[in-house]
Amino acid sequence: MSVARGSLYRTVQRTRNRGLTGLYLLVAALLVAYVSLFPGVLSLAGFSRFTQNWFPLALVTMAQALLMLNGGISLSIGPLVSLGAVIAATTMSGPLGVPGGIVLVAVTGLGVGAVFGTIVALFRLPAIIVTLAGSFIVGGVALLVLPKPGGMVPAWFSDALAGQYPTAFLLLLLVIVGWKVFMATPTGLGLYAAGDNPLGAFRSGVRVERVRIVAFALSGLLTVLAGLFVAAQTGSGDPVIGAPMTLNSIAGAVLGGVGFLGGRGTMRGALAGSLLLAAMINVMFFLGFPPVAQYVAQGLIIVAAVAVPELLSRRQRA
Amino acid sequence: MNRSLVTRVAAHPWVLTLVLVALVWIVAGFTLRGFGSWGHLRYLLELSAVIGIVAAGQTLVVIAGGIDLSVGAVMTVSAILLPLLSPADDPTGLAGIGATLAIATGIGILNGAGAAYLRVPPIIMTLAMATFLQGLLIIVAGGSAVSVSNPAVIWLGSARPLGLPAGVILWILVSAATLYALHRTPFGARLMAIGANPIASRLSGLAVDRASVRLYSASGFLAGVAGILLLGMNRQGYAGIGDPYLLSSIAAVVLGGTSILGGRGTYAGTVPGAILLVTSTALITVVNASPGWRSIMFGSLILALLLVSGREARR
Repeated sequence: MSVARGSLYRTVQRTRNRGLTGLYLLVAALLVAYVSLFPGVLSLAGFSRFTQNWFPLALVTMAQALLMLNGGISLSIGPLVSLGAVIAATTMSGPLGVPGGIVLVAVTGLGVGAVFGTIVALFRLPAIIVTLAGSFIVGGVALLVLPKPGGMVPAWFSDALAGQYPTAFLLLLLVIVGWKVFMATPTGLGLYAAGDNPLGAFRSGVRVERVRIVAFALSGLLTVLAGLFVAAQTGSGDPVIGAPMTLNSIAGAVLGGVGFLGGRGTMRGALAGSLLLAAMINVMFFLGFPPVAQYVAQGLIIVAAVAVPELLSRRQRA
Repeated sequence: MNRSLVTRVAAHPWVLTLVLVALVWIVAGFTLRGFGSWGHLRYLLELSAVIGIVAAGQTLVVIAGGIDLSVGAVMTVSAILLPLLSPADDPTGLAGIGATLAIATGIGILNGAGAAYLRVPPIIMTLAMATFLQGLLIIVAGGSAVSVSNPAVIWLGSARPLGLPAGVILWILVSAATLYALHRTPFGARLMAIGANPIASRLSGLAVDRASVRLYSASGFLAGVAGILLLGMNRQGYAGIGDPYLLSSIAAVVLGGTSILGGRGTYAGTVPGAILLVTSTALITVVNASPGWRSIMFGSLILALLLVSGREARR
């Protein structure tokens, strides 16, 4: 390995990119194929449309990766997306208006996440079960808020978020900057540390419980914001619209090389994974695959994405 | 005296689950009209049998430190494929059952091979398998409901030899076999060891890979049995018929005091866990709440039960 040429920062970043080269190449190849199949994506409207399909997936993948890096997992991503969508659709056209609706959605996400995190951290229950039980509760609340698809998001707000301008892409950049800033704080670093080795992190002064609760709260925030965006995209709310998001969020994070046991993986990998998934879904949609064939392909691709690097690394060791 | 009783109960979380079921049945039997009738209790047991059988495989997998998220999909596959695989000229219907169970077991073997030889984490392997099956099924079966005419399956879903529903008798047999396999055979001991510490097990010369292939094939087989039983009770198979049973199977395992982290647990807890789950769902239905409230109550109930019984020991 070459010795650090630039700053320490660059060296660290290079190390963190290691193992992701294959993924980046795959994503690049898929995007090239995509552009050659549908040159329209290069126009402003086409680019906006494509990033709008990617945006909610990117948000929930980040929400899932955030927890997985901390050694947790959430099976309530889907219902929480739905909850964000129905709250947005029922409040924004009411007296609270759009700003009030956004605040209410954000507070709900932070609150639900914090409650899950508190139960996991303080009562020492496994995250997978708490969020599994929680998915019923959150899904039920979404049904109470809006029993049938309906509600409304003001048209100007839909146009601003999911119109012909790439607002979604700019928002995603903003979220990524936010993640970078968060990773520069002690809590952000503690997130990785507590995921990799909770006891070691605790002995080094990381407040493991608090970090876990913060991780769940932030994850909840990202998830409901994805729901808010979906509501703006469709112009209305649907209490079960988030259902496929749970699997997709896990798939995106795993494709991006984020490990289940905590502390392994990077957010850039997870984002690349979600982009891969989004491009894949788009391509299959445009090629006229029936939605069910997408399931088959998705299942195969996820297994391959995990198995191939593992088999390659085993061959290298042997 | 009192304290030692509490300590003893805490040492066996499944006793707590059993006591809870008894308590719920007694209270509900006295307060709700018709709850305590034999017909109703028999119906609850029949519903529990489906969850109990699929949760038997899940218990084994969880004890060995894994998780099987494909059981719902395997049940659906079995329920839809069975009518297609039953030859019309077979008066017993056993050929169709055999073929279906072979496929369910095969799916389990694939899960196990993926987890063991490709090193795909079980949660991903089985989740991807579920997604894969979901798509494949609609391509193969076209997404319409199929009715069953297989005599053996109809018998299983409706007959009452000895006054007990055939499904419940099947559940008793499965329970006996599972408890025996788990606590009285080397295979069961291996599962506990792998769940407690896979690396130590491997270093001790245990064939971990082979054990997990057998493990997931058992889970696939049992999910297939549960799917066939469900089909017999329902008389119709359709896409999504097995979906609710994934969460129920995991909840039953955890309510029964089996550690989700593996290495510790027993099927003796999953049995009352399954009954508790079905009973509380039935009670929630009695309250006549909207689907939203029902879902909230179901989730809160599981969470509350977990806070009481499912707490992981501090390490």
